[in-house]
Amino acid sequence: MSSPNSGPSSLQIVLMLASGLILLFLATGDAGAANPKIPRLANGKPDFSGIWQTTSAADYDLEPHSNRKDAPPGAGIVEGHYLPYLPAALEQKKKNFAARDTLDPALKGYTLGVPRGIYYPEPFQIFQRKQDLTLVHQFGHSVRTIHTNETDHPKDPYDWWLGDSRGHWEGDTLVVDVKHFNDKTWFDRAGNYHSDALRVVEKWAFIDPNTVEYKATVEDPKVFSKPWNLSVILHRHREKDFQLIEDYRFTLDYDDAYPPKPNKP
Amino acid sequence: MTQINASRSALVSGLAISVMLIAAPSIFAADETKKPEAPAAKPAQPATKPLKLGGPGIEQERSFPKIVSGKWTGPKTADGQPDVQGHWSNTIANHNNFTDPQGGILNDPNPNRVAKGPREERAPSRVSDPADGQVPFQPWALEKVKDFQAHFHDPIKPEYIEPLARCAPGGIPKSLFWHGYEISQYPGYVLFQFNSGTRIIHLDGKPHLPGNIKLWNGDSRGHWEGNTLVVDVTNQNGKALFGRSGEFISENGHIQERYIFSNDGDRYTYEAVLTDPTVYTRPFTVTVPARKWTAKDQPNGWHFEVEPANYTGKVMLKEPILDQYERICAENNGGFGLVAAEEPKK
Repeated sequence: MSSPNSGPSSLQIVLMLASGLILLFLATGDAGAANPKIPRLANGKPDFSGIWQTTSAADYDLEPHSNRKDAPPGAGIVEGHYLPYLPAALEQKKKNFAARDTLDPALKGYTLGVPRGIYYPEPFQIFQRKQDLTLVHQFGHSVRTIHTNETDHPKDPYDWWLGDSRGHWEGDTLVVDVKHFNDKTWFDRAGNYHSDALRVVEKWAFIDPNTVEYKATVEDPKVFSKPWNLSVILHRHREKDFQLIEDYRFTLDYDDAYPPKPNKP
Repeated sequence: MTQINASRSALVSGLAISVMLIAAPSIFAADETKKPEAPAAKPAQPATKPLKLGGPGIEQERSFPKIVSGKWTGPKTADGQPDVQGHWSNTIANHNNFTDPQGGILNDPNPNRVAKGPREERAPSRVSDPADGQVPFQPWALEKVKDFQAHFHDPIKPEYIEPLARCAPGGIPKSLFWHGYEISQYPGYVLFQFNSGTRIIHLDGKPHLPGNIKLWNGDSRGHWEGNTLVVDVTNQNGKALFGRSGEFISENGHIQERYIFSNDGDRYTYEAVLTDPTVYTRPFTVTVPARKWTAKDQPNGWHFEVEPANYTGKVMLKEPILDQYERICAENNGGFGLVAAEEPKK
């Protein structure tokens, strides 16, 4: 088509590649792009400190559902709408759904797990330092630590309610690998569940200073035929004097026994 | 009778529930997983047993220095708070006995667990004022405490079960002598992560919650005065007993705490004034000594439940990073002393 001499010089190629990269960078606008408006720690990383909550109906059912007596309708938060259950696991999910009024671990006040704690309809507070993010969920005041200190999962792990969370930064996105779960938590009120082979990869990124997009990729080869994705938007609580209020739900069954009271005359 | 049967059956079934106070993959924590109450089951040691700060076991010392409020000359956080972050634990005993901390559980039927030797050879009462070391209970409340103590080893009603054994938050002041805990600091906050319960101390001066909201750990507002974190606690539900000896405060109580840190960062003295005109005859003061545990210390199954993290960075660390795994309790539903109980064979 053209002689070798009429082609671009190597300097031109470099310039073209560089400007192309810059354009790509501006277009995608996320990884590495510095949003000047979002709060940041002293080390420049996004600062998620604050009290957060979703307005989605995800906790009632991750999947699309009509209204029912114990849930408002919702379009679901799962990419592709439906969870890719293995056949036997789908049967178990149906049993869970039928008995959700008694079996849902949240009704017992148990720790919600990951990712359910994030979209459960109660606030959670993030306390952040350079080396970690500590999530305190109002529900149960349970605490999850996301380590951002160049540590990996333990070599000799147990199974934990909230798994083991190790995070790193990809630009302004916090990427968290969570695994080593027990099988005692559900994903929602509708009986969607997992085994102890659960692994969750979370991506946390600011949309604006008061809004965070939370995405999670969930895999569990004992329950699902392939990994699946969910996403919710988290809003910052900005009400005056807003704070977490302890919600140790599991003590309500027995706490009338305390404290001692004067005998009635 | 139904009440008693129901209670007993709950206790027996509770024994079958595995307990995971802390799931750290360490020898100590593994022991705890199987026998969470094991530390308390050890015989009260004769007073001659040498104790060592940072050593094994729960009891670390029998007497302790009093740290006084004053200037802070140590390191500060970026927002200007004295930097006291890290792992802390009380130095003298667990929650077996509030006023004779190293004296074992009151009315313990097992003679091997009963403290021997004179009282003055053991750590002082946590009640530092009045001088007799006793909580100034009103007569009705003292009667209730004695009733609890008489039934602790035979909990025929739910009220005789220490709520901590059912995973209830430890509350104030018991959390300060229930396992080690972590203090971390953030602009506007001091965060306490206990094995049973989490406390958020608000430093921003916002008003307390409305009075009818009642909480296991109350509602905490704090500020720093030199080396001292001063915390005002309201909104308590009064449900967390002070230990296996059954002392308590009610939902009408008010607690004013002072965490007085030494400038070397090694220790603090906890002093709290408890006021409750519906339970006590006068305000009284609780004192609890605490020390910091660091990577220089060996892990300890009560005070310092950590293990080295799996560090993958390239920079050489000055000291190892420690992981403390999640603090989640599964119900251990039985009064201490019933561990040998088994459901009768049918």
